[in-house]
Amino acid sequence: MEPTANVLELRGLTKDFLSVRAVNEVSFDVRRNTVHCLVGENGAGKSTLIKILTGALPRTSGRILLDGREYAPRNTRDAKAHGVSTLFQELNVVDQLTVAENLTLGTEDTSFGFLRKSRRIDRVIEILHSLEPSIAPRQRVSTLSVAQKQIVEIAKAVAAEADVLIMDEPTAAISEGEIERLFRIVKGLRSQNVTVIYISHRLDEIFELGDSVTVMRDGRHIATKPVAEVSGRSELIQLMIGKTVFEAYRQRSEPPGEVVLSVKGLCNRKLRELSFDVRRGEIVGFYGLVGAGKTELARALYGADPYRGEVAFHGRRLPTRTDEVIEAGIVLVPEERRSQGLFTILTIRGNVPVMNMGRVSHHGIIDGTLERRVARDAVAELRIATSSTEKEAAKLSGGNQQKVVFSKCLFADADLLLLDEPTRGIDVGAKSEIYDIIRRLSREGKSILVFSSELPEIVNLCDTIHLLYEGRIRETLQNGPELDSHRLLHVATGGV
Amino acid sequence: MVPGGSFTSKLSNESFLSLFMAGVLLLLFAAACVFVPNFYLPRNVINLLTNYWYVIILGIGVTFLLVTGHFDMSVGGNVALTGVVCAWACQAAGTSPNELANGLGLPYGAAVTLALLCATGVGAVNAFFIVRLRVPSIIVTLGTMMLSRGLAQVITRGAQRNTSLPDVFGVVGNTFLPGTPLKVAVLIMVVLVAAAFALERSTVVGRYTYLIGANVEAARLSGVKVNRHLTALYLLSGVLAGVAGILLASEFKAGVSSRATGYEFDALVIALLGGVSISGGFGSVLGMFVGAIILSVVTSAATGLLLSPDWQFTLKGVVTFLAILAQRFALDRRKG
Repeated sequence: MEPTANVLELRGLTKDFLSVRAVNEVSFDVRRNTVHCLVGENGAGKSTLIKILTGALPRTSGRILLDGREYAPRNTRDAKAHGVSTLFQELNVVDQLTVAENLTLGTEDTSFGFLRKSRRIDRVIEILHSLEPSIAPRQRVSTLSVAQKQIVEIAKAVAAEADVLIMDEPTAAISEGEIERLFRIVKGLRSQNVTVIYISHRLDEIFELGDSVTVMRDGRHIATKPVAEVSGRSELIQLMIGKTVFEAYRQRSEPPGEVVLSVKGLCNRKLRELSFDVRRGEIVGFYGLVGAGKTELARALYGADPYRGEVAFHGRRLPTRTDEVIEAGIVLVPEERRSQGLFTILTIRGNVPVMNMGRVSHHGIIDGTLERRVARDAVAELRIATSSTEKEAAKLSGGNQQKVVFSKCLFADADLLLLDEPTRGIDVGAKSEIYDIIRRLSREGKSILVFSSELPEIVNLCDTIHLLYEGRIRETLQNGPELDSHRLLHVATGGV
Repeated sequence: MVPGGSFTSKLSNESFLSLFMAGVLLLLFAAACVFVPNFYLPRNVINLLTNYWYVIILGIGVTFLLVTGHFDMSVGGNVALTGVVCAWACQAAGTSPNELANGLGLPYGAAVTLALLCATGVGAVNAFFIVRLRVPSIIVTLGTMMLSRGLAQVITRGAQRNTSLPDVFGVVGNTFLPGTPLKVAVLIMVVLVAAAFALERSTVVGRYTYLIGANVEAARLSGVKVNRHLTALYLLSGVLAGVAGILLASEFKAGVSSRATGYEFDALVIALLGGVSISGGFGSVLGMFVGAIILSVVTSAATGLLLSPDWQFTLKGVVTFLAILAQRFALDRRKG
C-alpha cells in the first residue's frame, strides 16, 4: 500500500478530565518525514495531546489516523509497537547498562529466557554510528552526557522503525554545541523515514528546525502552517496569546513602601547573577517558561537549595536554612502541592498549624482546642469548601488543597510570601479566590513574589514583572495600562 | 493520633487499628484459654502482660523511628553492650588473677552513667551515618548491632562478667513493688510507655515525628528541623536500650554478651503487629504495646501446649504473619 502523505491525522480529538476539557476538538495533519513543531503556552493542552498520542492517556472522543489506519493505543507499549516513540525530558535509559544493551532493551532475542546474540544489534549499532560516531557501543550509559543519552534514545527509536518520534523540550538541558548536533540529527531523520513532532517554547528553534508548526491555545487547535509561511515570532506569539482576556490590572491605590528584600548577584547552578529589590506590599512577578529558573530562585531564597550572592531581608542578611528563613518571616507555597506543600494523609486540622506549632501549643504540649479553632478559622477565612476540618487533605479538590497550603503559610505570620505556580491545575473559581487573597495580603502590607508561567496570572496580579530566561532576568517591566503582554512572551521565549 | 479523625466523632485510623488488634488479642487469648490449661488464671494473665517488659521498652524507640520511616536494628546489641559495660565498670579492680573478674572498680552510680553514655553513643553513631551521611538506616543499624555485640563479646571474652560485683548491682532488677508480684522494671516500662504515648499524641515533638514520616520533603519545606529530630530519636532509642540493658544485667546479676539476641527483631515485630506502618507516617506506641501482648500470648501458649521449640518458633511466625495480614486487610477495607 502506498504510504499516505500524512503520517498522522487528528480529527476532533477531545480529552476531558471530569469537568475540565484539556483538549478540545483538535484536528490537524502531520506530513510524513517532516519536522512538525508544536507550540503553545502552559496549559494549552500540548502535554495532554502528546500523552494521548503515546498511549499514556485514553482519549475521550475523536479519531487519530496513523498511516491512514485507525490508531488507538491501549498503553505506551502498544504505541511503541505501532511506531510512535517518545523522547521525554526524563530520559528513559538505564544507566548501569552499556549503550548496546540499552539499544536492544525490550527487544532482546531470547531463547527460553536466555539472551542470544543476534544480528539485530549490529544494525542498531550501525544506526547509532551514523548519527554520532563518537559514542562507543560498549560504553556504560552512566558515563554519557544528557545530550549523548538523547542520541542513544533516538537511535533506539530509529532502530525500532518508529514512524513518529515525539521530542518534548529536548533542548532544555543541553548546551549550545550539543543543540546544534541535535538539530543536525533531527533534520537527518527525515531521510530515515521518521517524522518528528517537536515541542518547544524556544521559538527560534521552530524557525531553524521546523517544516511546519501547530499552535495550540486553551486546549484548542489555533493554526497549522508551514514554517516558511510564518512571518515571524510576533505572528506566533499573537496566535499563542490570541484574544486572551486579561483582567484589567488594578492599579495600586498606594505606592509600595520601603525595600524589604534586596537581592544582589544571586547565583547557583541554574541561576546567573540575579539582582532585584522587593518593596513592602509589592507583588513582584517572575515570568518564565520551562527551565527559566523560577522554582530554582524560589527555593534558593527559601534556603531549600544553596546559592552564592547577597540577600538582605529587613536589612539583615537572610539565613540559608529553611527553618530560619521561616522564622525571619518568609514562607514558600511550593510548586507541587501534593508532594511538597501538604501532608496528604493528614487532615486539614493536622496541616494548618504545621509551620508555627508554637501558636497552638504551650511549652511543647499541643492544645487540642486551640488547634481545632485555628483550623476552623482558616477554613472560614479562605473559604475552603469542606464539611469539616477532619477531612483528609488528599480528598480535597486541587483548589481547596492549595487553599490549605496557603493557610499553612499564612499561619506562620510571614511578611513575605514566595508563591511558586500558585494556581496551577486549579479551576477558574478557586483561581479567582486565590487572586483576591493575594491582593488582600498585599494591601495588608505583605510582600509577595509570584513565580509563574501563566501569562494572564502575571499580568493580572503583579506590580513589577521580571522576565526570566535561562536563569537570567532579561527584562523588568512595571505593570500598567501600557503593558504589552506580547513583549512578555517574546522575551520569555528567548527573544530580545 | 495525629489528625486522622477527631476525638469526639470519627475514630482515627491509628485508634481503629489499635482497637482492631486488641480484638485480635482477645481472640487469641480466648483460643489459648481453650487449648492450654490454666491459661486464664490471674497469675498467668499478669505474666502475659509483664513478661516482655524489656522488648516493650525497646519497642518505644523502634516505633518512633519506624513512624519517621527509619529502622533501628541495633537495640539488641546495644542492650548487651550496656549490660556488659555496667558490669565491667563496677567489678572490683585488680583483685583477681582471672581477667574476667577484674573491672574498673567504679561505684555503681558511675557504672550506670558510663553504661548509659555507651548506649547513647551507639545511638549517636547511628545518627551520624543515617542523618549526616544518609546511609539507609537498615544497613547502618544492622552494622551497629553487630559492632556493639562484638564489643560486648570482646569485653567478656565471649562469655559473661558475673563475679566480684557489688551487692547493689542486683538491686534494681530484682526488687519487687511492695505487695505485688511485679518487679520495678515493669513499673519503669509502664511509666515509659505512658510518657511515650503522651509525647506522641499531645506534643509538638510527637507531631513532628508523624510529619517527617508522612512526607519528609513537605516537613523540610515547612520548617521542621528534620535532621535534628531524627538525631534525637536515635539517641532516645539508644538510651532506652541502655535502660533495658542495665535492668536486665541487674536482674541476672551479670553482664552477658549474648543477652538480647534477636530482641531487635522482636521489637520490630511487635511494632508491626501493633499496626505501625513499615513505610512510615502511621502507627502508635499503644498499638506496639498490644502487639507485644499478642506475641506474649502466642509464645506462652506455644510453651503451654508443650510444643517443641522449633514448633514454637513456627507458630510464632505463622501467627505474626496472619495478624499482620488481617490488620492490612481491615485498614484497607476501612479506607475504602
